[in-house]
Order: sequence, then structure tokens, then C-alpha cells
Amino acid sequence: MIRALILAVLIYLALIAQEFLPAVPLLGGSHVLVVPLLFVYAALWLPFPGILGFALYTGLLSDLTFLHATGDQVEIGLGWSMLFYVFLGTALRLLQPLAPGGRWEIHCLASGLATSLLLLVQYLMVCLRRESFLLDGTILWQVFGPGLAALMLAPPAYFFLRLFPGRPWSQPDRPGLTS
Amino acid sequence: MSRLHLILLAAAVAIAVAFLGLSSATMTWWQSRFLDVSTPALQAGSAISGKISKLNQGLKTLDELEAENATLAAQNNELKATRQLSGNLEDENRRLRAALDYRDRSPFQLLPAQILSRDASSWWSTAKINRGFGEKVDAQQPVLTAEGLVGRTTTVAKDLSIVLLLTDENCRVAARVEGTNEQGIVSGRRVAGNSSPELVLNFLNRDANIQPGMKVFTAGVSGAVFPAGIPLGTVKEFRTRELDGQAILEPAVDFSRLEDVFVVLGTK
Repeated sequence: MIRALILAVLIYLALIAQEFLPAVPLLGGSHVLVVPLLFVYAALWLPFPGILGFALYTGLLSDLTFLHATGDQVEIGLGWSMLFYVFLGTALRLLQPLAPGGRWEIHCLASGLATSLLLLVQYLMVCLRRESFLLDGTILWQVFGPGLAALMLAPPAYFFLRLFPGRPWSQPDRPGLTS
Repeated sequence: MSRLHLILLAAAVAIAVAFLGLSSATMTWWQSRFLDVSTPALQAGSAISGKISKLNQGLKTLDELEAENATLAAQNNELKATRQLSGNLEDENRRLRAALDYRDRSPFQLLPAQILSRDASSWWSTAKINRGFGEKVDAQQPVLTAEGLVGRTTTVAKDLSIVLLLTDENCRVAARVEGTNEQGIVSGRRVAGNSSPELVLNFLNRDANIQPGMKVFTAGVSGAVFPAGIPLGTVKEFRTRELDGQAILEPAVDFSRLEDVFVVLGTK
């Protein structure tokens, strides 16, 4: 419970902090996104109702942060990120039995994939809205660059989050099975 | 997956879909309230980020000095660092004086504002400023600097507003090219990818005589958000397309160093 509360606070703080992280020239000028990797950690660790709650919470905050209003129109409406995180959380839930409480390798890979998938979905929706599709090296960097950054940041984040008290929902209360 | 889980999943999807059904105005209202709640955190983040940035700049300069003056004594290094610090203060002083001068001679009623943060998303170019409806800022108001147009406000909270930057593909501005009758629409590119993005001026005549170095200003079309005569950029390149001509512009404003801006509240 304590770790869940800490995660909820961290997700909000990460959304604020992301705005102050400069674009990384080495990753084609793409931004570092921390929120998806925090959500992935929660999704590998919480029971299913908790995952859904976290998905709605993370999605709502993300949408409110990135809502792009131009005149009378909103490009990606409130609710799309909630849907994305609900389905992502459901998919990650299927990984829980493989590694109770998650393993750092799974968290690392899932964070990278989830970050890039989120950006890819966003980009496709932007293209749909603007009725034209462009694809070049810069756009690929903007999709996969943050995913690479998440791959690198995920292991330290994983071990940092494990410092907080709390037992993963799917981890049996028996010695010798902790990861 | 148990039946209960399926019901919970359906409920979560239903909640998300319910949010999707909200009108744009309602979504913007929610965002405005969220910004109200987040303003203290954003201001604190901006202050911390500014301090870290200045610290980094100072350290970098010291490193450079150290490399150049490896043989100099410690006292010499200290003196150079002190001189550098006062130089930074002079730069800041000069920048603020220039901003103040611009406000005095501008025909517009300007509200000074500071950039708090830049959007972390990949697909949109926006920034947050530390002024909101508490200081009579409204949506769709132009934002500029002494150098040129920065963008326009979109969502406005009490002490904070979001500015859609000129470098965003959705920020379209009617423009005219200096010394010609050519008019077109300036906008950003879909993805900038670096800190000094280019602008594009579309819908020009294919046979327009446009040369690199020509200045581009807002056209000030009737009923438009932006008044006429605000610098937008300088032509870098002109190319003809199937139906029209397109100019690539270097923005008048250096978007990588955006700190102090003005919101246009009206004319004097």
C-alpha cells in the first residue's frame, strides 16, 4: 500500500519533472519520458483492480498534461491515454505469473516497448487528425528515442522503487521465492 | 482472466470512453483546473531547473577556463570566475533592459511573462508561462518578444497559460513577404527534432520572386489573432511545388533560448 501511494505521487511528480528535462541530442532530439516506466512497474506489481485504477489515474494526468487545444479543437481528447494504459496494464498483467513481483529485465524491456508504443499511437492519432502521414528519420527518433532512454533508465528506477516497503500482490508469502 | 476482472476491465474502458465524450470546452476547462493545482509544482520546478542550468553554465565556463589556463595559479582562476559571474549578471541586465525598452515603444499593451517550462511531448510545441486569467490573459492572445512572434495562448489557468508556439504545425499565421505582394500561411513542421526548428511559408505563387534573406511579417488579416507587422522569420530557401511555392524560414525568435516573453493584451 505504501509503495502504491509512493508510485502514485511519483507519477504526478514525474509528469511535472518531464517538462524540465531537456531533449537529448544523442537520441535525435527526443524527450525522456519517465511516466510509462513507472506505470509498467505498477502494472507488474499490483493486483488487477489496482492496475486498472493506476491506468485511469496515469492516463487522466497524462491527458491533462498533454491536452493540445487549438482553437475549438482538441487534438487527442481526454480519455485516450486512459484507454492506452488500461490495455497496456491488462497485457502486462499476463506477465505477472512469469515473474512474481516482476523482474528487472521484464520491467526494462516492457518500459522501452511501452514508451515507444505510446508515442507511436499518439503519432498515428496526430496523423489521422491532420489528415496526412509523414515518416522520416526524425519521426522515428521521436518514437524510438524515448523508448531507448526508458530502457536505460528502467533498471535504476526498478531497484530504487524496490527500496520502498511493500510486497508484490502476486508474490507468495514464502521464503525463497523473492526475486 | 476471471469474470470479475472482465467486468472491471469493461468498467475501466467505459470510464475512459465517457471522458472521450466530453466537449473540447469541457476538456480545456479540466486542463485549466489541473494547471491551477499544478502551478506551485511547476513554478518550483522552473526555479530549480533555472538554478541547475545556471550552475551548469558556470561549471562549463570554469572548465573551459581551466583548460585554457592550466598553468595559471588558483587565485587567477578565482578572479576569472568572478569576472565571468559579473558578465552573466551584465548579460541578464542587458536582456531585461532590452525587454523593458521594447514594452515602452511597442504599440501594444504588453504583459511581461516568463517561460516556466516546455512541453515534453514529441508531437506538439508548447510552453507554459507564468501569467493567467488572474492578469487578464485570455485564450487566443498573441505572445511575442522584441525579436518577433512566439505563438498564441491556448489553455489559460489563473496564474499559468499554455502557449502554442509558432514552431507547431497547428499554429498557422497569415504572413506577407517584405517588399512583395506575396502572402501565405506560416506554420511549424510536424516534428522539429532539434532546438532550432525551421518554419514553412506555404501557398505562395509558384513564380514569386522570393530570395533568401527576405523578411516575413504577420499579415494581420481582418479578424485574425495576430496584428500586422510582427516579424516571423527570414527566408532561407524558396522552392516550387506542384500547385504553389513554399519558403523555408529561419524563425525571428530563437526558440532554444526563450525566457522572457510578452502577452499582447490589446493596443495602447
